[in-house]
Amino acid sequence: MIARLAWRSIWRNRRRTLITVFSIGFGLACTVFFIAIGEGVYAQLIDQVVRLQAGHITMEHPSYRDAPAVDLWIKVPESLRSRIERLPQVERTKLIIMGQGIARSGSGDVSATLMGIEPSVELDTSPLVRHIVAGRYLNEDDGPWVVIGSELAKRLKLKVGKKMVLTTNDAAGNLVDVLCRVRGIFETGSVEIDGYFIQAPIDFARRVFGLPEEGATQLGVILRVPEAQESVLHEVRLMVAEQDIAVLPWQEVIPEIASYIKLDKGSNWIFQAILIFLILFTIFNTILMSVLEREREFAVLLALGTKPVQLRLQILMESAYVGLIGCTLGLLVGGLAAWAAQVWGIDLRSLLEEGFTISGFAVSAKMHARVTAGLLLGTAGLVFGATLILSLIPMHRASRLSIVDQLR
Amino acid sequence: MKSAYLSVLFLVMVLSHSPVRAQEQPLTPRQILDKVDDLFRSKSSRGIATMTVTTTHWKRSLSLEMWSKGKEKSLFRILAPKKEKGTATLRSGNDIWNYLPKVKRVIKLPSSMMAASWMGSHFTNDDLVKESRMADDYTFKITFSGEMEGQEIVEVTCYPKPDAAVVWGKVLVRALRQEYLPLSIKYYDEDLRLARTMTFSQVSQLGGRLLPAVVTMVPEDKPEESTVIHYQKLDFDIDLKDDFFSLRTLQK
Amino acid sequence: MNSLQYGWRNLWRNTRRTGITLAAVCLSTAILMASYGLMDGLMQHAVSNATNLVVGEVQVHAQGYLADHSIYKALNEPDLILEAAKQKNVAAAPRRYGYGLVAVGTKSAGARFWGVEPASERATFDLAQHLQEGRFLSETARRGVVLGQKLARSLQAQIGSEIVVVVQAADGSLGNDLYTVTGILKAAGDSIDRNAALIHAEDFVELFVSGDRIHEVALNSRGMVPLDKLTELLSIAAPEEEIKSWRQLMPEVSDMVNLFDAFIWIFGLIFLLAAGMGVMNTMLMATYERIREFGILKALGATPWGIIRDVAAEALVLAALGTVLGTILGLAGSYYLQQVGLDLSIFAGTYSVGGVAFNPIWRATISPKMVLIPAVLMLIIGVVASLYPAALAARLDPVKAIHRP
Repeated sequence: MIARLAWRSIWRNRRRTLITVFSIGFGLACTVFFIAIGEGVYAQLIDQVVRLQAGHITMEHPSYRDAPAVDLWIKVPESLRSRIERLPQVERTKLIIMGQGIARSGSGDVSATLMGIEPSVELDTSPLVRHIVAGRYLNEDDGPWVVIGSELAKRLKLKVGKKMVLTTNDAAGNLVDVLCRVRGIFETGSVEIDGYFIQAPIDFARRVFGLPEEGATQLGVILRVPEAQESVLHEVRLMVAEQDIAVLPWQEVIPEIASYIKLDKGSNWIFQAILIFLILFTIFNTILMSVLEREREFAVLLALGTKPVQLRLQILMESAYVGLIGCTLGLLVGGLAAWAAQVWGIDLRSLLEEGFTISGFAVSAKMHARVTAGLLLGTAGLVFGATLILSLIPMHRASRLSIVDQLR
Repeated sequence: MKSAYLSVLFLVMVLSHSPVRAQEQPLTPRQILDKVDDLFRSKSSRGIATMTVTTTHWKRSLSLEMWSKGKEKSLFRILAPKKEKGTATLRSGNDIWNYLPKVKRVIKLPSSMMAASWMGSHFTNDDLVKESRMADDYTFKITFSGEMEGQEIVEVTCYPKPDAAVVWGKVLVRALRQEYLPLSIKYYDEDLRLARTMTFSQVSQLGGRLLPAVVTMVPEDKPEESTVIHYQKLDFDIDLKDDFFSLRTLQK
Repeated sequence: MNSLQYGWRNLWRNTRRTGITLAAVCLSTAILMASYGLMDGLMQHAVSNATNLVVGEVQVHAQGYLADHSIYKALNEPDLILEAAKQKNVAAAPRRYGYGLVAVGTKSAGARFWGVEPASERATFDLAQHLQEGRFLSETARRGVVLGQKLARSLQAQIGSEIVVVVQAADGSLGNDLYTVTGILKAAGDSIDRNAALIHAEDFVELFVSGDRIHEVALNSRGMVPLDKLTELLSIAAPEEEIKSWRQLMPEVSDMVNLFDAFIWIFGLIFLLAAGMGVMNTMLMATYERIREFGILKALGATPWGIIRDVAAEALVLAALGTVLGTILGLAGSYYLQQVGLDLSIFAGTYSVGGVAFNPIWRATISPKMVLIPAVLMLIIGVVASLYPAALAARLDPVKAIHRP
């Protein structure tokens, strides 16, 4: 009964209701859309970085973080890897060796990072594979062949098939010189990666750095979904509890990215909060106005014996209807837009020529949103809840009307 | 083969005592280079030389004293100018240490500095280390034999083995056919463009052998620059203990 | 004038309605203003973060220096550049650069030496305060060195560590000396972190025997002088040299700032729509409520034009009052956000974009543009939103209007 009354009364002033519904919908849609875009960019960034580097979870020598060097290597038995890979949340594990050295050609020398990788794993997981601009990516029996960044290639005047000498110190501290040849050249758009990065098959890197079979500086664990991080972290820690191996989440391995995301999320939330506040203010005003406008009507109702509780309930129902319609509209529009942006992506390449980099990692200028049920329901719930709370004041006021004053 | 400036610097000192013999049979390219190498070979050596470096921006001369033993060990010390007197370099195998008298410290050269210039010259630290490996890193071929500019010469081209850690595309060595005295060594990059040229001149008696006393290195991209090493004195097969090439000697 | 006076009086006949409408206009204006200030601040923040730490707005080098960083490619007349900057009150820092080796104990690494004048650096940039440990170089040369974060870590150097430096001096000699680590920088971008070793200019000259060679003058007006003016000034003072703005020096950061800019415009528009709808709704409602009243006026002989004029006047007075109050409130908010700022470090520690470390304090900016745009737009929206129902009322049959619920 009250529900029907409330429904009818919100449509008595159609224009006002529509404007309110529209502003709720608009605000919610914008919020959902922009948060989804943000989440999409973060997800893309994290995904790229962990796949390129040391996984969502990284296992390494406990002292490696403090003084990264190849002499702090760990032995990763095949049995441990297969145990980790058997975990349902794990997509793949990758062994890597990271070491510093000097890359030289007849045209000069540049300091560089040599990363030993397992080509079969990288081919399935690494974003670098998709950024090869000349030659091809490595495969299992590529021995002393390497892929290098386009900037590095330019500085050393190297082309595919040309040779490069790598000078470095092995794990025992001896100076080593090795010859390698360029199999492919990649270009990610990040100066740091394109300018200083060399990838080589891990067996070759082991030979260079003097590490034994199964030796590596890191074992990276790539997860199927990033959300599984906590549980996998826990299980892996249990597996290596006996050994002197640190198990770290990517947030500790690449703290710059983690804090960038937190910070950007923070400023994004501040913007969204301002927007929601503006919307809520409109809602509040509308409800208040509509109640004040109908004070006479309410007074009549009260005089005719309507209980104040019923009146309050009606006002609450009215707000709930408006809020509900507005939120549905917002979710529909915002969700659809975000979904479209998730599927097709937003192409900012006209705005940014080569994408941009965050803490040295390139992010593609084609942004994909990431919509989750939690995001949709969370923001909608927040707006709807706030609408109800905001209707409390006018509600309270209406039920305490002085009938005599109003009907005079 | 012994070619890098090694030949230059210490090469000169590191050569063995085989007298130059006339050969009836044609020699293989490897043998020819061994001959050149033999000129300088000895169990151990000691020498004094002046190194003059000319660049677009400055020119300076260093007086150096140097010792070597076998292929793996060598020590250099600056005698003059005064500002750098006592500065010394010790090479043992692949490692290089520098001693700096001003701060009384020894520094082991990190791999990142191997490509950097040695004492401001046109030689790199890596050149110091590389020398002993040349024979393993190249294959050889005689590419010329006959008269050139009035001299009977033989030219051997050294091609780096496919897996050798060498940046060059080829190295061309010219020597006199009779005495196997080296005339020049030319380094080409992978696209076979000339990168630097080392020439040998002023053949004179040094340590009882007939050897070129002056070695000149000219980088191709800056032809107005050069490093010239002039050997004043060389002694071969002197008595040097292994522990002479130690960090302690370095700091003397 | 008559209409406006009438409008003013009319406003106070229904204080409650006027109060609500006024509050709507006022708050919307204030929020819009403060958030525009924040957005503009974010933009400036991005720019100033990129420039204030160490890069500056414009840098001058000798032609070709940036290509090979040769110690011999020094500026011809650095004094003229410094003088020109001084005349325009733009802070400038001259720098000398050279390469060499640093060693602590058995650890050694290659480094890029910066010969800096501590006083100019302090006056021009924030780097002197950007220390993780220890302190910046003192004003007098004392063989102190400030190391980049990663360099210090790879050398395992601490404050007070004695470090050996070996360099190829400009006269070809081997420069070497002992320095003491006085400070370690916070993350300041990858290349600085990896290889920067900052020493006093006088120490630099002695170590590198570099004479009066200066390789770079970095200018930083902290946004006071527009970029094109700064570039123009320099091209007159040093026509021979290579003059580059931070946008050319850091194209990645420049792209990022452009992206911020695009997003800010989108957000600005969304905010405007949200605030505009709020004001519009309130105004519409406030006017609709009075349709009966207009009907009576019309029945009493008021012309339609007269009614519109009266409503417009009243709305104008109301909206003007609202925007003025809103501007005061908005300015107060912006001022607070400018002075105190939002500390984003509650979300995270340090991070970098395009290799440049960012300061986590986010401050609003106050500029005429950011004050006028929201105020004027809110005023227009307020008046327009009230005209529509007034026009409706003006055309209405008085009898119908009076009988409207």
